Amino acid sequence: MRVAVIGAGVIGLSTAQSIYEQYHSIVSPLTIEVYADCFTPLTTSDGAAGFWQPYLYDNGKVEETKWNKETFDYLVSCLSSPESIKMGVFLQSGYNLFKEQVQDPSFKDTVLGFRHLTEREMQMFPGYTNGWFNTALMIEGKTYLPWLMDWLKKRGVKFYQRKIESFKELAESGADVIINCTGVRSGALQPDLELEPGRGQIVKVDAPWLKHWILTHDMKAGTYNSPYIIPGSRLVTVGGVFQLGNWSEQNNSIDHKNIWEGACELEPSLQHARIVGDWSGLRPVRNKVRLERETIQSEGTTIEVIHNYGHGGFGLTIHRGCAMEAARLFGGIVEQKGQGPKARL
Amino acid sequence: MKSVRVAVVGAGVVGFSTAVCIAQALPYCSVTLLAEKFSPDTTSDGAAGILWPVTFPDIPLERQRSWFKDSFDHLLAIAQSQHSPEAGVILSSGWKIFKEGPANIKPLFSELVIGFRYMTDNEMKRFPDHKFGYAFTTLKCECSSYLPWLEKRFRKAGGQVEKRKVNSLQELSNSYDIIVNCSGLGAKTLVGDSEVYPVRGQVLKVEAPWLKHFIRDGDGKTYIFPGIHSVTIGGTRQEDDWRLNVDEGDTQGILERCSQLEPSLRKAKVLSEWVGLRPGRKHPRVEREVVHLQGRSVPVVHNYGHGGWGVTLAWGTAQDALGLVSQCLHEMKLQAKL
Repeated sequence: MRVAVIGAGVIGLSTAQSIYEQYHSIVSPLTIEVYADCFTPLTTSDGAAGFWQPYLYDNGKVEETKWNKETFDYLVSCLSSPESIKMGVFLQSGYNLFKEQVQDPSFKDTVLGFRHLTEREMQMFPGYTNGWFNTALMIEGKTYLPWLMDWLKKRGVKFYQRKIESFKELAESGADVIINCTGVRSGALQPDLELEPGRGQIVKVDAPWLKHWILTHDMKAGTYNSPYIIPGSRLVTVGGVFQLGNWSEQNNSIDHKNIWEGACELEPSLQHARIVGDWSGLRPVRNKVRLERETIQSEGTTIEVIHNYGHGGFGLTIHRGCAMEAARLFGGIVEQKGQGPKARL
Repeated sequence: MKSVRVAVVGAGVVGFSTAVCIAQALPYCSVTLLAEKFSPDTTSDGAAGILWPVTFPDIPLERQRSWFKDSFDHLLAIAQSQHSPEAGVILSSGWKIFKEGPANIKPLFSELVIGFRYMTDNEMKRFPDHKFGYAFTTLKCECSSYLPWLEKRFRKAGGQVEKRKVNSLQELSNSYDIIVNCSGLGAKTLVGDSEVYPVRGQVLKVEAPWLKHFIRDGDGKTYIFPGIHSVTIGGTRQEDDWRLNVDEGDTQGILERCSQLEPSLRKAKVLSEWVGLRPGRKHPRVEREVVHLQGRSVPVVHNYGHGGWGVTLAWGTAQDALGLVSQCLHEMKLQAKL
């Protein structure tokens, strides 16, 4: 069977990995190819801080909470191996801060050591009235994606730098199943009114004395439209903005100023930090993740597509759970085509 | 009253903290700090500098509590300010884990660190050999930055610094009215305190910028302390061991034990090794006495013997010592009136 994955961000690569893991010994031969117009370090996943945290509330999307948890548990299990460093995965604790009383988040039982902040801790953050402390994970795209590509290359997965214009194009060239992981630009392959860019801009600074992430929340302004400071393995990511509908990938000076001022107010020591640069990216925002199978009939041919896009600002957070679910959907196609394990009656 | 001449002996974290406290609080004193060794060659420089609650026998708990609390509050204010990187003082969260021992006894002063709580079962999963642990946020104070920062403040408050090995209090009795003894392990010879003994500690500095939490085994011999530019891992606690040279066996032991706790350390590059001698004593000596030197009665305030808790208790004991110096001054004033 030939599988064509479109997209080489964290979603595309991890889906390729899960399909390989679960089916390479069942389906023979299994050829996996990844097509993308951009690869690490230029994908959306690369620019993100790489901090594992879902949006605060899932609003009933229990599957997403499940996938987030699966991803967290998987990454934590990787920590027991020194390999975790090559994956760009490590633990980091920190603070979520609020100016009003809020409910506990969907991820409170997934992360480690979740608790409310003490009064003493709240005094450390003037202007905020309450918050949480917990240990979460970092998963840095600039390290994780090369690790994934390496993992895939070693197992014979081929990569092609090419912008795919249609699913048909790949079906005609012999792909049996197409995995659509095209993130924010999925609309170019198949219009999706629910998919929009959620523009983000960040400033990368050198501030190695910071060892905790700090996320502030403004319930009126919305997710990521409030200052955040996320130390990485080398640099600190400072944000943030969340501009729905803005397709610009250019850094904006006004955004920079607002982000920087907000962060320095939160963490005065930042004034001494060396600014390394800005980056802008487009979160693939959708009211819920599109993770489903679609059989497209086109001029007499049947094109099997598995969609896996629309992960907003939580792609790294949810990637593994979604990849495994996508692999499961792939399994459904495999069975249908009679390529499943021979022991089926 | 003419300026009172105060000598502070010792340029480690206790010496400089005490000197700064005195210079800032008592402007009519002229304070001179004398020491043979300065940063980066003091015992304080190699210490990871993590603040730990500790209790000693024979000192009233309330006094010890103040020692810890004053130090913690002072350093927390620095960590929260824009001076944090220059002073080398940062917040540090992590875990203290135990292989054995009574799990239900909450350690004394645990309410003085931030967010103290017991670790959850999920958190303990990462440490299968350990039975329970504490999670909390404390401070790390890196003396290689903090000592120069203190020195700046000392000089700004009018303090003078003299590089000189002081071999006896006698040497100082003509030039100074009050002597403050912060000589650490040196007190063994300087004032003949036989209760002071070295506790040898060896540490490694490794490059592991992905490590953001401290991990310390309750036995005190295995610890990982991420700092601003490197991670300090250790350690050893060899009593009465005066060796200042690096021991290869200790290095291997440290690497092995720490990698057990934190597997990613196996990939970390070792940057340097260091040995220091903690000024061990049953409890820190923070008290005053009058010493007769060359026909004079000289008030001496002692502030030494902090063992592995120099950074942890420096500011608090310095404040205590300042109080004792004030008492000496008060008595001197009374005598001057007679």
